[in-house]
Amino acid sequence: MGRNYQQLAKSVVQRAQKRGAQQAEAYLEVGRQSSCRVRDGQIQDLTEATSKGLGLRVIAGKRLGFAFTSDFDPTSLDRFVDRAIELAAAAAPNRLAGLPTAEDLGVPSDVGDLFDPTVASLPADWKIKAALEMERAGKAVDPRIVSFESVGAGEQISEVIIASSQGFAGSYVGTHAYLYAVPVASDGSQLQTGDWSDEKRFFDELEPAEAIGRKAAQRALRMLGAKKTKSQRVPVIFEPSMAASFAATVASAANGDAVHKKSSFLAERLGSKVAAGGVTLLEDGVRRRGFGSAPFDGEGVPTRRTAILDGGVLQSFLYDCFTARKAKKRTTGNAARSYSSLPAIGVHNLYFQPGSKAPEEIIGEVKNGFYVTSMLGVGANIVTGEYSRGANGLWIENGELARPVQEVTVAGNMLEMLEGIDALGSDLQFRGSLGAPTLRFRELTVAGE
Amino acid sequence: MTSQGQRGARPQSRPGRPVRPAAPLLAVGTLERLLSAAMSRGADFAEVYVERGTSTAVVLEEKKIKSAQAGLSQGVGVRVISGGKVGYAYSDDLEDEALFRAAHTAALIAQSGEQAHAVKVSRSPSPTFYRVETPLAEVELSQKADLVARANRAAHQFDPRVKQVLATYADQTKRIWIANTSGRFAEDTQDLCRIGVRVVAEGKKGERRTGFYGGGGRVSFSHFDTFTPEMVAREAARQAIATLGAVDARAGAQTVVLAPGWSGILLHEAVGHGLEADFIRKKTSLFTGKLGEKVASEKVTVIDDGTVANSRGSVNIDDEGNPGERKVLIENGVLRGFMYDSLNAKLMGGRSTGSGRRESFRHMPMPRMTNTYLALGDDDPDDIIRSVKRGLYCAQFGGGQVDISNGNFVFEVSEAYEIENGRIGRPLKGATLIGVGPEALKNVSMVGSDPMPDPGMGTCGKDGQMVPVGVGLPTLRIDNLTVGGTRV
Repeated sequence: MGRNYQQLAKSVVQRAQKRGAQQAEAYLEVGRQSSCRVRDGQIQDLTEATSKGLGLRVIAGKRLGFAFTSDFDPTSLDRFVDRAIELAAAAAPNRLAGLPTAEDLGVPSDVGDLFDPTVASLPADWKIKAALEMERAGKAVDPRIVSFESVGAGEQISEVIIASSQGFAGSYVGTHAYLYAVPVASDGSQLQTGDWSDEKRFFDELEPAEAIGRKAAQRALRMLGAKKTKSQRVPVIFEPSMAASFAATVASAANGDAVHKKSSFLAERLGSKVAAGGVTLLEDGVRRRGFGSAPFDGEGVPTRRTAILDGGVLQSFLYDCFTARKAKKRTTGNAARSYSSLPAIGVHNLYFQPGSKAPEEIIGEVKNGFYVTSMLGVGANIVTGEYSRGANGLWIENGELARPVQEVTVAGNMLEMLEGIDALGSDLQFRGSLGAPTLRFRELTVAGE
Repeated sequence: MTSQGQRGARPQSRPGRPVRPAAPLLAVGTLERLLSAAMSRGADFAEVYVERGTSTAVVLEEKKIKSAQAGLSQGVGVRVISGGKVGYAYSDDLEDEALFRAAHTAALIAQSGEQAHAVKVSRSPSPTFYRVETPLAEVELSQKADLVARANRAAHQFDPRVKQVLATYADQTKRIWIANTSGRFAEDTQDLCRIGVRVVAEGKKGERRTGFYGGGGRVSFSHFDTFTPEMVAREAARQAIATLGAVDARAGAQTVVLAPGWSGILLHEAVGHGLEADFIRKKTSLFTGKLGEKVASEKVTVIDDGTVANSRGSVNIDDEGNPGERKVLIENGVLRGFMYDSLNAKLMGGRSTGSGRRESFRHMPMPRMTNTYLALGDDDPDDIIRSVKRGLYCAQFGGGQVDISNGNFVFEVSEAYEIENGRIGRPLKGATLIGVGPEALKNVSMVGSDPMPDPGMGTCGKDGQMVPVGVGLPTLRIDNLTVGGTRV
């Protein structure tokens, strides 16, 4: 890492311009990562790696070409640049094709620290110890924890470097550390998994390994004896991690590209009330210590905070530069990418703003309903707004989590779901870059027997 | 539907051009020295996996070719096994210094401190289940661009209600070299290509429906002379148009008929994953300890076959250098075997079934499926539909997922119809299938005799690793399967 990659990015851009590109942008990622999994008190595997890659976007004659490589040998790089320009010739000319303008670019946002020196200097055995601790703590909960599908830990340091012909040059380095446990519980006739994990940029914010192992085990155990239930329409509660995945689905419907192509159920609803009054969905690229925070997006545009839903009103869609130009909007700094892909619209830190109710209260108010703790399948169609996913969780009887339920689906229409959110918890939780509190839907279809 | 008619039949090696002598990315001497370095702390086994992959893609949207893309990815993964412990290090830097650093890092898993001796490897022959006429990387970009342009025209011409067409062509040529301390040195060239078309159709009152179709395999570019982009586009458009005006699916347990082909993805999820040896060894699969037991209806025979000619999931050698194989997993309802990579085979006292696969040099191999299909039965497909008084016909599937431990699987049915008195009726929307793998297999009451290869569009994810797979299923009747939906 360091200055030589900045130089490399600039020289690739210069070469592309010399070879006939009107615009060029080099996106580099350089990193190292290390991870460990354990099994039965022993190391299962240890992985160490370094990685690097370069993606080059060129505009030649209003046509877009893109190539990526992990081979930084100078001769190979020269050929690589030529290839990107050849590729542009195959695309259709598009007057909207082009890199962000100086006006789009502006000044990278101040996001505070993304780099934790503690993560960067962790001793090699921290992850072995942490993983063993999770496994031990999980098994200690109950003898019915018979195995682990996986249990592991790791850390990663990565640097992003961008240089473009439009005068942009920037980089940032960030750290990540993570812990996860997926134990399996058995009662002799049924196996159930539970999972729990945490990932953060800063080591001291990670949940303790012991707590992760224990929670994961409890989540597996409480599912033992799960059965189908009969089909009915009832109040459904998503625990925070499930609510966070619902946030991601809603955000994908706010993708400016899908909206522009009228391939989203939210298209044509900008400015109107689409969700219950208390529902605010934020995409926040500058959140302090956020897992997905960055000073600029995948094409160098400063990140920012965008309210997708504000008090239930559809306030904004998300854009990168190209889509914004098509839709006659401004970029919202939401170009997401890796070195091996062109920018596409994505989120940095996405979350539902918490409400004021304690999760116990939200459950306590339900006489007969379903508390969803894990889901299977894609099941959300953002074009039609249909939502139908396999779900596991706990049935609520008279305000209590009464019995485990599996092999059912929860289904609804996403607009009706958004309008029907009748409680938001005070328990906002982030797992990585997605966050949400407990969320209750007034009524969804649970399909089983 | 597809030209891959040999699918499901025994593999055939096609006569073709002689394989070009592959100049290894690393010299054999370097591989041997790397293996020695990997064994320097005393270990049971070491392996070096070298990969160089090139890819191209062309994307068309809003009636224009948006971009043409190309990529190059290369690197080395070094794996060292000591007892049940694995050390893995990878690098995309192929300079000696980086390579030997990776080998020494992976070696640290072994603690005995013994000095290893020199390692010699010799070339193992590989079978040939696929070979392309011209490497896909050498096919002119303009020909690839032409495919998506033709698909776009055909989809729009199919019906004026087709409003959006996204057409993609993607290919890759991956060359792999694997050397290990058992003395094996094997290599393979794996070409793979695919076209895909996604269509959004708009009906009355702004109703929108989607359709998707695609296919390909380890095939020559000339595959698309018969599996034409027009055919693919019309099928995607047909799905979107056919489901306009669909009514909500009725939720609850029903008799379900699966259309042949891509529906095999249900078999892949519902039972395939649970038969991968790592889950069996860890006792996390509900098939653990059930070998020799009846786990499905006697009409059910499930095969995983890495040797199907030119299929998307086939492997001449797996990513540990072992030849691809055909494995009978379930025979007439009885559980016969699992899919093994070499590590799980060794730990479980079995043998590798050529099922050790990995996404790239950045990943360790693990047991994976190749082409997984349900053997043909003897029921006429029309009879199967006629036999159902009231039920659900699943013509096309979206994605699916399984929970290995409790066996729950879920599938999104992207094109569904009601069956009333033995006839296919109105299109339905929002249907999802959910069940427990073995229970669903026990409820298989009719198995069709119709051909069942999928067109070659599957990608399977496990532990974050994506690999291409093939699936297949003849028309199938399953009784008493739960259908998720909004209408109770």
